[in-house]
Formats: sequence, structure tokens, C-alpha cells
Amino acid sequence: MSFGAVVEFALVSVSANAAGISVDAGLTAPEDRWIIRTQVRYMQLKDDPTLMDRKMTTYTFPTVLAYGLRPNLTVMLRQPVKDQEMSMAGSSSRNTGLGDLFALGKYKIYRRNTPQYTFGIASTVGLEFPTGADSFTSETWDLQPGLYTSWRSGPWATDFNIAYNWNGFADRGRNGVNPGDELSLDWALAYQFSFGEKARVSFAPVLELSYKNISPDRLRGHDVLNTGESVLYLSPGIKLTVSSFILESLLQIPIWQDQKGSQLERGMGGIVGTRFMF
Amino acid sequence: MRYTFLILILSVLLVCVIGCAATGEKVTVKSGQSSETRVYEVFGMDCPGCHGGLEKLVEKIPAIQHSEANWQEKRLAVVVRPGTELNDEDIYDAVRRANFTPGERVK
Repeated sequence: MSFGAVVEFALVSVSANAAGISVDAGLTAPEDRWIIRTQVRYMQLKDDPTLMDRKMTTYTFPTVLAYGLRPNLTVMLRQPVKDQEMSMAGSSSRNTGLGDLFALGKYKIYRRNTPQYTFGIASTVGLEFPTGADSFTSETWDLQPGLYTSWRSGPWATDFNIAYNWNGFADRGRNGVNPGDELSLDWALAYQFSFGEKARVSFAPVLELSYKNISPDRLRGHDVLNTGESVLYLSPGIKLTVSSFILESLLQIPIWQDQKGSQLERGMGGIVGTRFMF
Repeated sequence: MRYTFLILILSVLLVCVIGCAATGEKVTVKSGQSSETRVYEVFGMDCPGCHGGLEKLVEKIPAIQHSEANWQEKRLAVVVRPGTELNDEDIYDAVRRANFTPGERVK
């Protein structure tokens, strides 16, 4: 029974003021800065092209802990908890458990701060460990290199990042199956309204445009049926910052997608989250 | 299960909001002592959350009694502990470690 691949959006939260919510294209955190980030993510797969009336709903609860080890180096750990319900032809099943642990290092390549703007570039290397529950683990070691850029001027902020998830990096070819790799392109734009005498409160509408491509799995040199997809999301959101605390939410709207074979279509998703820095 | 998680998340949110609301920012000067206040330009702060990381690093400097950053005005104000001497280079170093760029000392 193929429900289609469940794409894990990179949640690389290591900057206090990244423009994005589903991803974080910010630069490295200040030295000795801790950041805790929690989210509730909702995703649905539906519109079964077959007659089996399949549907899938997933809640993911990632918790992220990031630390500014050096001004130019931030380290992060992410542990998701998942709750997934699948239904088909009137029957349903449900699973809850831990997802795979993800570790990431972000290195500042370039940053320029001026009175008029801030611009920076950072590189990342992430590694996903096959530690999750049976229902949610990829069963492979996955490597994720990435590149982030960030530009801010006055109330405007924009981030762009590209990441490549090399699935099965250390297990490539096991049992003859090469899992499909993932390419992510994410752009975020935000405008910040600040309040209060010391401007310790701000409200920012956010707009994200995200493209994900998962290549089909390969078996003995051939694409595995019903694997692989491309999806483009347009996502409006809001972010409220009160001193060192951030509350954010995002509505993810799939405006275009190409699901290979009989995979389910992606429906709208949502994110609600918090960030706390100390 | 979903409702349990939602309640958990909302509880965390409530704790964080209460915690932030309870956080006060005070400049305390003991009576009878005069404290020196210095103000520096700082470039690269672009949000309300930026001040915390900078203030944390600055307040590790032994000569600093209190600091307050203002991201909109691009300023950092520090209160020097009475009876101590503050080297501006220590401030500039803390600013750089926060990933910002120090400007001129304006006061």
C-alpha cells in the first residue's frame, strides 16, 4: 500500500530572527546563545487516484535545541515525535512514536553588518540518525548539506536556502534499493512592525515559497513505481516576537505538485510554533 | 493523543509568556554611588530578540553592572560598575561575538 513519501521539511532553527518559519535560513546564533524551538506540524495526504479511498494525516512535534558554540558555528539537535493516521477502504490504523534524530552544524561563511543592511551566508551539514520508531524511521543514515543566505534592511527581511538530503548516504544500495534524494529550495519574506518604547515587541507577516523534489527510489537501475514527487508550496504566516520569545504560525498551501504513479496528493498543512532564546 | 499534545504545547506557550512578562529590565544604582553610562553604536541587530544575546555577552564583562541594547536605534548602553574600569575593546569584542559589528562610542 503506497501512500507516498512523507517529506520532512528541514527545521533548522538556529537564528533568532530568520524570516522563515517552515525552514530557518538565518545565520549563526551569538556565542553562548541557547535556542529552544517547538512546533506542531499538520500535514495531510488525500485525493487517492485509485479506488481505495486512501488518506493519511500526520502530526509532527519537532523539538529543536540549538547552541551558539562560537560566533561562526552553531550546533543543533532536532527530535520529532509523530502521530500518523492512515485510512483505506473504511479501515484505519494509527501510529505514534519518535522520528529519527537529526543533528546539524551551521558555519558562518560571510556576514556584513552596516547601518543600512545586514547580509550573510552560512553553510550547513546535517546528519539524520536511524533512531526512530519502526513506523517512522528511514532506516538509513542521511546526509544533508545546505547553503543559507539572509538579507535584512530596516523592517524587511528575506532569506533563501537550498538543501540536499542525501538519503541512505551510508546505506546506499542496501538490498539493491537506492532511496530517492531530496532537493529543497525555500524563500521567505517578512516585514516587521515593532511596538513599544524600546521596540521589544514586533509583529511580522511572513510569506514563504518552497519547492521540494524527491527523486524516485531506484532498484537495480530502474525507478521504483509510485515513488518520487515534486511540490511547490505558497505559505502565508505570522510571527510575534516579545523580547526573547517568538510565537509563529504558517499555513502551507500546495499550489502545484506532481506525484508519481498512484501516490496521494498533498493537501494543505499548518505549523504553529514557539522559540525561546536565553 | 492529539488533544493531549495540543494541551501540552499550549501549556508550554503559557509558561513562556508568563516567564517573559515577569522578566523585568531594571537599572539599579545603589544610593550614594555614581555609575558611569556609556553608549555604543551596534550594527546588525534587526529584531527584538537580538538584544538578549548581546546583553548576555556584555554582562559577562566584570566591569559591567547592567546593559541594555536597542535594536531600532542601533545602540548599546552599559552601566559601568562603580569603582571599576571598563576597556572599550572588551565591549567591541562582546559585540563581535554576538555576530554584530561595533560602531563608534557615542557617549
